[in-house]
Amino acid sequence: MTVEPCWHPDLLRRFVPTPYVFSKGDGPNRLFVESNDLEIALGIRQAGLAQLRGKRVGALLCKLIRDLADLGDRSEITIISDGTLRVLYLGRATILIYDQERSELFGFVARNVKVEELVSSLIPGLLNA
Amino acid sequence: MPFLSIDPTDMYYSRELCFAGAACDLRTNSPWLYGILEGLSISTRETVPGGFRMWVAVDESSDEAVGEPHFRGLHHVVTASFGGSNVFVFDILRRTLSASVSAAIARDGRFWKEKLIPITLGILGAAIGLVPVHCACLEMDGAGLLIAGVSGTGKSTLSVTLSKAGFNYVSDDWTYISRRHDGLVAHGTSAPVKLLPDAVEHFRSLMGRSLQRSMNGELAYELDIAEAFGARVERGCVPRWLVFLERSRGAGSVFTPMSSAEARRYVNSSVERLPSRLFEAVAMRAQTIEQVALLPSWRFRYGGTPQFAAQELREFVLHRKQEIYV
Repeated sequence: MTVEPCWHPDLLRRFVPTPYVFSKGDGPNRLFVESNDLEIALGIRQAGLAQLRGKRVGALLCKLIRDLADLGDRSEITIISDGTLRVLYLGRATILIYDQERSELFGFVARNVKVEELVSSLIPGLLNA
Repeated sequence: MPFLSIDPTDMYYSRELCFAGAACDLRTNSPWLYGILEGLSISTRETVPGGFRMWVAVDESSDEAVGEPHFRGLHHVVTASFGGSNVFVFDILRRTLSASVSAAIARDGRFWKEKLIPITLGILGAAIGLVPVHCACLEMDGAGLLIAGVSGTGKSTLSVTLSKAGFNYVSDDWTYISRRHDGLVAHGTSAPVKLLPDAVEHFRSLMGRSLQRSMNGELAYELDIAEAFGARVERGCVPRWLVFLERSRGAGSVFTPMSSAEARRYVNSSVERLPSRLFEAVAMRAQTIEQVALLPSWRFRYGGTPQFAAQELREFVLHRKQEIYV
């Protein structure tokens, strides 16, 4: 019999449940989104691939966590790229990561970032940087 | 939006380094950082199967010092920031670290030695074949003694005492364990030994040295053990025994055998849970943990001075070695 190890608390917030799951389109037009925040999941689904990443083609898998940690900051946007991963920071609490090879977008959205800003500005800015 | 490209073709300082037996392909645009990391690199005979890549772009126009840490992780990526100008992106799947930092942090040797290198080995460890275990490690004649115990049980004080009693020092707090074809290898890093203020009761030579504020906020003596105590330092050894330290109020000591299940539980409590997509790293790590759990393990309960405990442990190791020879 194997005993389940007693793990650390999830300080990185890797294992936050994401019950809101939507899928739109199929094949290269497939948009899959999961989140712990219904508003984020619906906002991304509603925006669709065309708004999120313009003329680029290919499916996109999204996993975004609404992060309730209060860091109290909201400074300028910075995008860092190493050729494979592209990471957008808005302050320290909003961290969006785009893995170009895997066509995945994932990360954390600070409590003070509105869904409208996320889908109309932050995500397109990251995907099309 | 400001766009920072971490482009290796702009990084003229490049070298293969080695941390805890893991090869590190470093590229940076900063000669300062290059010098610091080169000084922390230690070549060992025992290397781990995987290596990792570290690209660090230094913004010479920024002088932001180390800020409050903020960590997050999702899927195969972990991010760490220490203020707005100092961000680190770890890709566990590809075994890479890409970072953009200020000139101030690039010149802060303590940050890289005590924080960034251990953090990197902790995060990328599973993918490169290293398991960080919260234990000290001492070595005698090629045989390693792992000393585990919760914080405050005196691992560091005992490590220093044992290093003055004939053992070679590998590590006092975190030991990085890898597998090779015929067993395990325990690796140390260049991290300093950390002694709490009351250690001055046992080591009079600490008088006159100043306490420093550790990264976790504790006041402690942080010392190069070779320089401060004349200890012999080994960077790696083959672990033979695992001892769990427990303090008792009464004088005396007792060794009680421990089951592999208890040892496994302890080692598992040292490591982070990983997402399922990192299944290869999870499997590799589980194999290493299993081998650590199968080491002969004892609970060592003692009361008295560190010198008394060190004497008891020394006799224990000598006795066990005799058993092996027989």
